[in-house]
Amino acid sequence: MKSITELTDFYYNELYPSLKELEEQRLQMVWKIKLYGSFWFIFSSLILIYILKQRGFIDPIFFLFLFGTIILGGVIYDWFSKDYHGIFKTTVIAPIVRAIDPSLLYNPGFPIAQSLFERSGLFRHSIDYYNGNDYVKGTIEGTELEFSDVHAEYDIEDAKGRKHRQTLFKGLFIVSGFNKHFKGKTIILPDSAENNFGSLLGGWLQSMNFSRGDLVRMDDPEFEKYFAVYSNDQIEARYILSHSMMKRITDLRKRLNVSLYISFISNHMHVAIETRRDHFEPNVFTSLLDYQQTLEYIRTLQNTIGLIEELKLNEKLWSKE
Amino acid sequence: MNIVLIGIVLIVVVTILLYNSLIAKKNQVENIFAGVDAVLKKRYDLIPNIVASVERYMEHEKSTLETITSLRSSAMKPGISDDQKIALDAKLSAALGSISVAIENYPDLKANENVMHLQRSLNEIEEQISAARRAYNQSVTDLNNAIEMFPTNFIASWMHLERRAVFEITENERRSVDVNALFKR
Repeated sequence: MKSITELTDFYYNELYPSLKELEEQRLQMVWKIKLYGSFWFIFSSLILIYILKQRGFIDPIFFLFLFGTIILGGVIYDWFSKDYHGIFKTTVIAPIVRAIDPSLLYNPGFPIAQSLFERSGLFRHSIDYYNGNDYVKGTIEGTELEFSDVHAEYDIEDAKGRKHRQTLFKGLFIVSGFNKHFKGKTIILPDSAENNFGSLLGGWLQSMNFSRGDLVRMDDPEFEKYFAVYSNDQIEARYILSHSMMKRITDLRKRLNVSLYISFISNHMHVAIETRRDHFEPNVFTSLLDYQQTLEYIRTLQNTIGLIEELKLNEKLWSKE
Repeated sequence: MNIVLIGIVLIVVVTILLYNSLIAKKNQVENIFAGVDAVLKKRYDLIPNIVASVERYMEHEKSTLETITSLRSSAMKPGISDDQKIALDAKLSAALGSISVAIENYPDLKANENVMHLQRSLNEIEEQISAARRAYNQSVTDLNNAIEMFPTNFIASWMHLERRAVFEITENERRSVDVNALFKR
């Protein structure tokens, strides 16, 4: 796997020429968006002022029109930038993925399989809408790995019986092999109870979470501060979470600084990084030739693929081949 | 009158809950010890293979190998207590650790695929034993805390529950890697 420095070289030597072409397309598109956007803004403002004068501020027609124009604005923006998103992914993201490791496959349009997301057992709620994109799959130093952006939602009904979408998870979801055999289920969740209620009451609340399996109290105070571990096998949970593994997971959590969910089920590790963002999407109004922006894509990809090395899943010290 | 009755019912309910929690903790300790026992047995099964495949090469470690064999046979004797098992396990871990280090000095052994495979199996089992020990220590600590803490201490003494021993972390596990020593060798 290549380092950030090597990837920077790759950016300037190989990616830059194709970025220049794409940058021209982007500038044309931005010009169109600005032009049509101005028309849209002036036109809808005039109509809104007219309605306001005729019917007053608290009129349903005013609000109907206001929302209508906002949606129309979004449609105009999507219409012009739709193609650009697709081209951006094939010219920028796909070559970066290949540069990091040529064996990796990349599909910009699909998410990781919903069955894998559900298998992880990290999020208990049923899923009504499952979306995502930027799927990467491959083998890094003998360890299989796949991940993508995932946005999982469910419907809730309010008091009046109206349905609302509620986000269950938004961020990166990663599935990889693991270098030790295990049979049970071990789940690591962010420790919200202990942080909110203090260690005594929080500890009791954690142990009441029966549906997850038994609470496993780990012998690493810093790890315990960030996470709560549940498992159906007390010994196996500690076999997976050796002292060095706990240290690495704690370091990962500190580096990411977002909620981290990990589960060990069916001989695989499932990692959900709750960034609440859609990654690898272009910012239409930022220059493509700005290295900082590309560096962020490179970093995110490199760090996600580098998880195998960061958690040392590639170390085959045990009998598992 | 009613208040007295409510008070008595409350005391009885709390006593039952505390009693049950102690039983649950005691059973948890026994349950996990069975798990410790299972992985220790796995290691006992592996030891004869290791000894057989390295003893031809390792002239200087003959006495350590003999110690390992004798520790294994005393650990497998029927009817030894849990505390004795814990003590024997610590000695065995230390002896096996020194053999693993010594293998590094024998190029023939390091090149031997069978030995390497055995060593990997041993690593895995050691890792499982370490996990089992940690799980056991946590469950014993939970039980010991309950035995000493108020108000469960009264019920525990009435139930004749006694504090249990935890596994000592072996010298090898505690000592951090001394890089200098590694290079001087």
